[in-house]
Amino acid sequence: MSLVHQIVVLFRFQLRDEVRTGEVAAVVIPFGAIALLVIPMAIGIETTLLARVGPGLFWAVVLLFGVVVTQRRTASTGQAHHDALTLLGVDPAARFAATALASGVLLLVFEVALGLVTIVLYDPLLTGWAWLGLVLPLVAAGLAMLGTIAGFVADGRGPLAPLLVAPLAIPILLGAAQATEGLVQGAGILRWILMLALVDVLLALAGVLTARPLEGPST
Amino acid sequence: MPEGPIVDVHGIALRRPGALILRDVTLRVAPGEAVGLFGANGSGKSTLLRVLATLEKPSSGWGTVLGAAVGTGAAEMVRTRIALVAHEPALRENLTLEENLRLVAALSGRHDEDAAEALAAVGLAGARHRRAAVCSNGMRRRAEFARVALIGPDLLLLDEAHVGLDPAAGILVEEMVERTTSRGGAAVLVSHERERVREIISRSVTLSDGRLEETP
Amino acid sequence: MTRPIEIAAAGTMLTALVAGLVVPPDAIQGDLQRIMYVHVPSAWLAYLAFAVTLASSIAHLVNRDLKWDRRAGASAEVGVVFTGLALATGMIWGKPVWGVWWTWDARLVLTAAMFFVYLAYLALRRSVDDPVVRGRRTAVFGIVAAVQIPLVHFSVVWWRSLHQPPTVLRPGEPQIDPPLLFALVMGVVAFTILYAALFRRRVELAEVEDALVTGVAVGEAVAGAAVVEPGGGGR
Repeated sequence: MSLVHQIVVLFRFQLRDEVRTGEVAAVVIPFGAIALLVIPMAIGIETTLLARVGPGLFWAVVLLFGVVVTQRRTASTGQAHHDALTLLGVDPAARFAATALASGVLLLVFEVALGLVTIVLYDPLLTGWAWLGLVLPLVAAGLAMLGTIAGFVADGRGPLAPLLVAPLAIPILLGAAQATEGLVQGAGILRWILMLALVDVLLALAGVLTARPLEGPST
Repeated sequence: MPEGPIVDVHGIALRRPGALILRDVTLRVAPGEAVGLFGANGSGKSTLLRVLATLEKPSSGWGTVLGAAVGTGAAEMVRTRIALVAHEPALRENLTLEENLRLVAALSGRHDEDAAEALAAVGLAGARHRRAAVCSNGMRRRAEFARVALIGPDLLLLDEAHVGLDPAAGILVEEMVERTTSRGGAAVLVSHERERVREIISRSVTLSDGRLEETP
Repeated sequence: MTRPIEIAAAGTMLTALVAGLVVPPDAIQGDLQRIMYVHVPSAWLAYLAFAVTLASSIAHLVNRDLKWDRRAGASAEVGVVFTGLALATGMIWGKPVWGVWWTWDARLVLTAAMFFVYLAYLALRRSVDDPVVRGRRTAVFGIVAAVQIPLVHFSVVWWRSLHQPPTVLRPGEPQIDPPLLFALVMGVVAFTILYAALFRRRVELAEVEDALVTGVAVGEAVAGAAVVEPGGGGR
């Protein structure tokens, strides 16, 4: 039973579980969307203002509300199921990777959905759309891994996981927001894309290496 | 066919914050044995099962489970030969019974058809497309037995397996234990219902004050 | 019972206080600049305390000894206080210069981020009762945080370097004449000794807290040595 096989199996079933449960689609996406709707009520609705702050607000909402995606019900399981998987020989690193991967996919969906809402409500100026095709998955991956680790460590205690994620997600937020702004200004965004990629690589390593120590006193 | 004792542990102690759950547990289970584990509520029976399942590391003590030294990295190697049926079912609530079993099959290198077969063998063929969340406790427990059948363990650990089962389904427990022991494996059953379990077990032990005693 | 280190801390703090008040004021910023004698040592300690937390977290994951977890937690608690102090003094220093409490100066933002990481870490510690579980989880978070912090640092510095107006007057590095340098060094030394004294007390307190929760005194072994061997292992 190779590690990759375990990851694929767990990923598939976790995703199926989430699609069946529908929490991300029915709850988290609307929650993020309503944030985007409500904010102009607080800061003003002039078209030029909104067009300028739109992209930045999008990323802020993705980061702060997106954490909820990683804390969804189907991202964690009861003790019995956890034990059953352990006895089936599931490697803790595989468990981390599969959960993070599922979260990443769901976050990508979250981003796309909220992106559409942002375009409608804020009418931002966006050139270089193709680069977004790179930024969106990089952000989703980083946030997914950070959120997964935070979820394991906070073990379902309410707003604790979002608190753990928020300050450490600053490089992701800055990378995404600066890259997007760079697109608008036609300025170099390569350094920010590289930063996002570096964050992802380091988080992947951290997640995999800490998966086993986190598991428990069984060895 | 396993060689040597299935369980051979000595002086097992387990400490949690503020309490010594297990004090000095010594247990030897030979191939083909089915041991009944009794004791008052809160005596640590479930904890002992988890130690035997290599899911918990004892604070002290030594010995082997399926030949692997308890509390060491070697214990991980034998995990796939152990099956634990705990109080709560190990099911993902929003997956169907069949999907849950397919997950187990996929992780144990079995086929999807084996999952369907296992469900049929415990009388759940008709309910296999029901989500676990809407199944009764009895059905969920039977799905757990199907899980055990898929794994085919050398060490079977049952925690109150009879709870919520009608007598007909109780036969399934007997068959499950029989299948395991006849292949040279062993079973440890925690139960409060001595009567129901008496037919199945070959001997019994009682956990009291953190220690195990043989009971007639 | 007062320890030598606590006496030393009191002594050096007093000396640093006197030095800070007695040395001549800065040529440009006047007396306002004296805040530096508190601000810089605080900031230094914020990072030192975090480094100690990180090192202790790694040590804990390596050998699972709870004493490292207690040290990590103690250092974080002391660290969060100094970080808050660094933030507060930074703001007080900046207000007369810029007219606002907060500027998006890179160092200020970084210190604020650090402050929140500390708060998150401490919140995590409080959320778990079992010291063993607490040790595991906070060690993992501590290490992940340590991996991310440099990236937080770089991203914020890059970001501000893009947007920093060239002619801003920052309460940055005033000319350090020897007397002022002495006061600054005195402050760093005093604060470091204070950190060590507070750290020591906090670790002791943590030992007592853990003993209360687990019912085991620190250092006492569980009955029977934990020797695990197949077959004929002994105790």
